[in-house]
Amino acid sequence: MSQRTAFGAAILVVSLALAGCSAGEGVDIGDSTGASGDRTLVAAIGGEPDQLDPQKTSSYFSFEVLENVFDTLVEPDENLEMQPALAESWEVSDDQLTWTFTLRSGVTFHDGSAFTSEDVVYSYDRIIDEQLSNAWKFSSVTDVAAPDDSTVVITVAQPTPNLLSNLGGFKGMAIVEQANVESGDITTAPVGTGPFSVSEYTSGDHITLTANPDYWGGAPALGGVEYRFISEPATAIAALKAGDIDWTDVVPAQQVTDLESDDALNLGVTPSSDYWYLALNEAKAPWNDVRVRQAIAYAIDRDAILQAVSYGTAAENQLAIPEQSVWYTSYDGYSTDLDKAKALLDEAGFTGGTLDMLATSDYPETVTAAQIIAANLEPLGISVEIRQPDFSTWLDEQNSGNFDMLMMGWLGNIDPDDFYYSQHHTDGTSNAQKYSNPEVDELLDSARVETDQATRKDLYGQAATIIADEASYIYLYNPSVIQAWSPSVTGYETRADRAIRFRETTLAD
Amino acid sequence: MRIQPARIARFLGVRLLSSAIVLLGVLVVVFALIQLVPGDPVRLALGTRYTPEAYEALRAASGLDRPLWEQFFGYLGSAVTGDLGVSFRNGQPVTTTLLERLPATVSLAVVGLLIALVIAIPAGIWSALREGRVSDLVVRLTSQFGVSIPDFWLGMLLISLFSVTLGWLPASGYAPLTEDPARWLRQVTLPGLTVGLVAGAIMTRYIRAAVIDVASSGYVRTAVSKGLSPRVVTFRHIVRGALVPVLTIAGIQLATILGGVVVVEVVFAWPGLGRLVYEAVAARDYPLIQGAVLLVAVMFIVVNLIVDALYAVADPRIRVS
Repeated sequence: MSQRTAFGAAILVVSLALAGCSAGEGVDIGDSTGASGDRTLVAAIGGEPDQLDPQKTSSYFSFEVLENVFDTLVEPDENLEMQPALAESWEVSDDQLTWTFTLRSGVTFHDGSAFTSEDVVYSYDRIIDEQLSNAWKFSSVTDVAAPDDSTVVITVAQPTPNLLSNLGGFKGMAIVEQANVESGDITTAPVGTGPFSVSEYTSGDHITLTANPDYWGGAPALGGVEYRFISEPATAIAALKAGDIDWTDVVPAQQVTDLESDDALNLGVTPSSDYWYLALNEAKAPWNDVRVRQAIAYAIDRDAILQAVSYGTAAENQLAIPEQSVWYTSYDGYSTDLDKAKALLDEAGFTGGTLDMLATSDYPETVTAAQIIAANLEPLGISVEIRQPDFSTWLDEQNSGNFDMLMMGWLGNIDPDDFYYSQHHTDGTSNAQKYSNPEVDELLDSARVETDQATRKDLYGQAATIIADEASYIYLYNPSVIQAWSPSVTGYETRADRAIRFRETTLAD
Repeated sequence: MRIQPARIARFLGVRLLSSAIVLLGVLVVVFALIQLVPGDPVRLALGTRYTPEAYEALRAASGLDRPLWEQFFGYLGSAVTGDLGVSFRNGQPVTTTLLERLPATVSLAVVGLLIALVIAIPAGIWSALREGRVSDLVVRLTSQFGVSIPDFWLGMLLISLFSVTLGWLPASGYAPLTEDPARWLRQVTLPGLTVGLVAGAIMTRYIRAAVIDVASSGYVRTAVSKGLSPRVVTFRHIVRGALVPVLTIAGIQLATILGGVVVVEVVFAWPGLGRLVYEAVAARDYPLIQGAVLLVAVMFIVVNLIVDALYAVADPRIRVS
């Protein structure tokens, strides 16, 4: 920049500053003109989506936006049960191997083109053929066909009772438009069939959605939604109180008590279907001894961990599935009992040592919990060495088995298969702790193809109990989804699956 | 002013050549560092659950299955033409992303620097001319406070005062200057103040020291002994003589802010380069990290070049050589 332009810029800044001060206007609260149907809700989310291609992203920030842009064949209601979405109805053949979906008619994409069964085939084939990260959800699928414009037939190799939750459990399985994918626009200007369409994307600052008047579920009450990216909780809460934004999920847990009594905002706190756990590396002695793992499960103070990481907002749980789910199994095998822990260690012949605990700075609750666990295990003669690399390194270390114990969470599960199979089956793809029990394998294999819901629940209950008894995972708690919004926002609900849906939301003056 | 165009052209030529060498060095070091840092971008992009086939497919699509030397020279070859590759995370050209973020960073840096200069020049000179007095002590203590204050805390303080309590200015958001100047100004004010107050405190101390240094130098004593009025001595000799160190520190501060004030950008959700780099590192987005570091290096070089050129204008004793 030359001296002259720098000087010019200085003059400009000063004069604008004067103009801004003398105007003395209030804070801009987004688009506030016109009737309530034209109003734009401003939502602050914790980070910027990495991209807007629902089939390629794995970022929650992307799904917070894409939930309102794309549809899946079926979708979970607030009780996480699968309901019709782009598919109006479906039938399963007697041998459980053929699923026939009848599609909703008259649905169009945001660009006006008609939605047909070919779009479903294209979307699913893309995931399977390009081996995208969600390809595992189609592991039992042998064929996806479109016999006519409004019918999709999915053939599976074995009965797949969790097919619906695989197809509709999250927007990673969204139906995309071929032209939008092939032009490459989908990463920044995606075209879906959802209640809102992406109208503007300014990298680093905001994404604006505009209501889709032709949405098959009826035009949304809002005119649009503007997402801003605010990672600092104090800023997000300040912006909400100042009226800069209308909704946010960037809420620090320690402020929940204060915010609950604040009339300037509404707070939504709902137990989620996520769970947090500890896992000991069973490929290494002495952690391969079930008694040593149980001793640790008896030594930790779950309540202290829960208070420290969630300020009491989370729900303690000794299994993975939360209490409000239809798949919940009650289990309370462990309590904090140091004597029992010591007895188990003596029995195992353990005389003390160090434990390499893998936490990650990207999930601060793992670090906080690790510090409490270190204090809990000290009386047992176990000194805990805490490591806290970033998540990328954490994944590397987990994958190469370079840990004694780690803490992590599983997010957004619906079907019990998601809670247990890949984590505890001998051949499970996420079994980093190397747990192997033929009995559990058999239970999980048969539960996977069992179509009677009651029998299926019983099989998972048995498997989960053994998994907890043998401390393959030491389960800790189900965290809550915490969100805050302005009192002028109505018709919004905090959901257990963390899906952010604004299609029913209205914004008053 | 005695500036010879031919000499400046040769000076610029030499500087451009050395800049190119510096940039090449930066690239080599960044590339090597990225290889040494643990963390697999492919695994990170896939999340916690995926098939081995999905892993291999994404690895091949990102070009990470090619030998290292091939990756490096491929990158170098296209970088020369301004093509910095595509982001692993979203497949967008890195050059486009960087250019999108640049205006936000430049506006914050320019506003922050102007605020810093407006504070630091009068405060530094005033304090230096009253060296040892109470008013000097007050300026020194205030600037010490400003240097020590954490910028995120100052930012939160400004937000709670001006956004929450008074409701005058937004706590976050960014509008490009070219699209909506009034809105841009309202949004740049708080982050600009945060950057400017901290940088201003640092610069006040440098300016004070520079002015004291010049005031005690021989040519100023000569000027005083010639019987020139204190005003002339102060403004024509002392202040002019102190310009070079002021330019130096202003250049360093500007380059630092351009390089990214990550914490301030995070607090105010400012869409600048600092936050972009922070996010790119967390995601192991190699092409974006390389591109951003390269851009920051270019900005450092350009700022230094401008500062060097201004030396000649500010102080005729400095010859272009």
